[in-house]
Amino acid sequence: MIIAERKPMEEIKQVIAPYKKVLLAGCGTCVTVCWSGGEKEVGILASQLRLARGTEGKDHAILEATVERQCEKEMAEELRSKVAEVDAVLSLACGIGVQTMAEIFEEKPIFPALNTTFLGMPEKEGVWVEMCGACGDCFLDRTGSVCPIVRCAKGLLNGPCGGTRKGGKCEIDPQKDCAWVLIYRRLEKQGRLDLMQKYYPPKNFRAVKRPGKIQAIKA
Amino acid sequence: MAFCCEHSAYSAADLAGRLALHCPENLRVIPVPCAGRVDTLHILKAFEKGAAAVLVLGCEEGACHHLTGNTRAKERVKHSEVLLKEIGGNGRYVAMSNLSPNAPHKFVKIIDEMNEKIKKSGEVR
Amino acid sequence: MEPRIGVFICDCGGSIKNIDFSLAGKKVAKSSNVAFVDLSSDLCLKEGKEKMSSSLRAKNIDRVVVAACSPESKRYVFQQVLEGAGLNGHLLSVVNIREQCSWAHGGDVTEKALQLIQMGVNRARLLKPIEKKEVPLNKEVLVVGGGFSGMSSAIQLSRLGLRTILLERESALGGRNRDLEDLYGLKTNSMIKGIEGDKNIEVFTSSEVVRVEGRVGDFTVKIRKGTEELSRVFGGIVFATGYETGGDSQFKSSAHITSPNGLAHMLQASNLARKPRTVGFVFDSSDENSRLPAMATLNTALAAKQKWGGEVYVFCKNVKVDGEGLESLYSEARECGVVFVKFEEKPNISAQDGRVKIEARDVLLGENTTLNCDLLVAEEKFSPSQGTGTLSSLLNVRTDSRGFYQDENVHLYPVASERKGIFFVGDCRGDSGPRRVVTDVSSVVTSLYELLGPGKIVVERDRVKVDPQKCRTCLTCVRACPHSAVGLTRIDNGREVAEIWDLACDGCGICTAICPAKAIEFEGYSDQQILAQIEAIGVS
Repeated sequence: MIIAERKPMEEIKQVIAPYKKVLLAGCGTCVTVCWSGGEKEVGILASQLRLARGTEGKDHAILEATVERQCEKEMAEELRSKVAEVDAVLSLACGIGVQTMAEIFEEKPIFPALNTTFLGMPEKEGVWVEMCGACGDCFLDRTGSVCPIVRCAKGLLNGPCGGTRKGGKCEIDPQKDCAWVLIYRRLEKQGRLDLMQKYYPPKNFRAVKRPGKIQAIKA
Repeated sequence: MAFCCEHSAYSAADLAGRLALHCPENLRVIPVPCAGRVDTLHILKAFEKGAAAVLVLGCEEGACHHLTGNTRAKERVKHSEVLLKEIGGNGRYVAMSNLSPNAPHKFVKIIDEMNEKIKKSGEVR
Repeated sequence: MEPRIGVFICDCGGSIKNIDFSLAGKKVAKSSNVAFVDLSSDLCLKEGKEKMSSSLRAKNIDRVVVAACSPESKRYVFQQVLEGAGLNGHLLSVVNIREQCSWAHGGDVTEKALQLIQMGVNRARLLKPIEKKEVPLNKEVLVVGGGFSGMSSAIQLSRLGLRTILLERESALGGRNRDLEDLYGLKTNSMIKGIEGDKNIEVFTSSEVVRVEGRVGDFTVKIRKGTEELSRVFGGIVFATGYETGGDSQFKSSAHITSPNGLAHMLQASNLARKPRTVGFVFDSSDENSRLPAMATLNTALAAKQKWGGEVYVFCKNVKVDGEGLESLYSEARECGVVFVKFEEKPNISAQDGRVKIEARDVLLGENTTLNCDLLVAEEKFSPSQGTGTLSSLLNVRTDSRGFYQDENVHLYPVASERKGIFFVGDCRGDSGPRRVVTDVSSVVTSLYELLGPGKIVVERDRVKVDPQKCRTCLTCVRACPHSAVGLTRIDNGREVAEIWDLACDGCGICTAICPAKAIEFEGYSDQQILAQIEAIGVS
């Protein structure tokens, strides 16, 4: 799912500074599950902003609301009455949600409170790791289902860089596993090590023409 | 404002009262079944409503009735400190303490120490 | 419909002297939703309770606040009054204006008491009833481990009428002490015979636990019996998987060198070629936390002296006897003539003329001592039974720092685990020993009988509940619950959501706090109920 992280407080405070009444809009899907923009985080950020503004002596209001999925127009629409009450909206959704809100409520400034970072999964409680680069030309069949585009720090397609550290760790970030060690071990388990000797030409990153658009079959 | 775990701090507070060990009057206790019930949001809300300091009191480390509750509470308190610092701190104190249910003196000591901290920073509420 | 809150304030027989009750009563009455305020001096006594009960009925009160002593003392008394008056016992908020208010501060505390009562009123306003329901329980028990502890448990459970399946990994019952019956007086063989004839005990040998799912009263266990796999349902599970010895010794076993376990077998053997005349033990107590090595050394040293005569020396750095039965064992050994030599530095051990020479500096005498012995008994390592690590992650149960079951957490003593209905008994818990095991087995059996005997149990329903509409199935609560009380269930549209099992839930609220979607409600300690109490402190 989409993983996002809250922006630094200074940035958030700066962007809403000119507005007296602000709505904090949360999203109940991806950002709830990765603990960055759900109803809970909306409550926490709102509390912080009220405390901050209280100290700063301004007379503002911080409203809170969360919808199931901000990237669905009908669901974002549910916030219409609350949006009408405020001068600006601080969205705690991923970039998609922020833009959906902006399309519906065109005259109201909609600001992002999060930085959308990657597509990933939970490794353990509270820790999310990047797994997929959305390149549009998936070749996981050849790498034992470990993606070197995003899980290798250098994005190498043809084996390790030669700088792998002891314990199978990455040369660039010793906290992370070397993706090619993971690929090797996986292929070994599956008895498909012959793939390690195949050469792959440079990846076509234009497989998806940006901005991406897909038409599913007309039902 | 003190969130008191019912397996430890709440009993210690009762015992303190029975032994007539006095503690500062500005203490307000909210009982919880486990320190792990306390969420970051509760802590921030307490400050929003006017608390000068927030304490989360749970069982001694390694002796949480629910195994991981006091550890989780500790992490959340640390996180709350970070969040408060982000908006300037300003004499808002939050802390986690551990004690046994039969430690009334420790209970009073914890409250006294936090109260001293608040007084020193100049804002008693 | 707006709630009608009744506030009952008590001065506890006049022992609360520093609160202005009439002022308090007047101010509280002005709070919204407060329909009735009463002052009393003996709310928990017969008269006070009767008055409260009639007020509840007469004034149509549906939420109650009692401001008096600590809820830890009298909560149940007032709960019963509510139930007697036809109200759900949970619709009660007890405010502590005695131990934590009147008695905790000098001077007048009316203002604090008022705030505390307001906190209670705010909470009461939001209370919802909790219904009770009766849940059937499976009465069969699975005992894993066919050694002394496992067999004792099965036998005693059978006596109380509970059927058990006794699971043993090896091909026969008896466990580690099977051949050592005489040494420890454990009567293993007669136990095995008894079990064979017991209709309540089914024995599965060469079998192992593959998977455990569910909760107390309803554990679905997949068992591998020989080569086939089968699934059975149990109400409770007892693990008596024992420990093992060996490995990691600096000496190779030979005719002259053995371990306490090896010595025990030698003592049982009837065909020993030649009885060792001098036996030397070297006991370093390298494992500071375990008493098992001490137990083994003292037991076998005493047995060797009693059975073979001859001389028995124990070279030791320290013999810690803070375990059940250890001190008397030590005294007995000394009285019998076992000699203890205390060293600081490790003794020098060498072979000499077909015997083993131990050289050590006796700390108490301040002299060097040399012993030429026929048999050296070297310390062995005690570790959890093979497969303990796998089993503990399977069960989602923690092990302690040495890998044995059941954390050093004092709340779980003596035999419980963090999962209701799952127990650990015997040497698999590390520090045990025959005498303690006997008591612990009784403990397990009594607990299980209490729990499963009636075949059903009354439990509070939905005290902690997941809202299936809000649940994102992120599995955070399933993974975070320390009591493994959260599972998954399918709702009407086929989607899987989290579900909390009332029977296994211990009411800690960890799931409630951690749920990122705020989908879990803990009645009595919900977010709204906590925030409502916080709200009251802003009121002056």
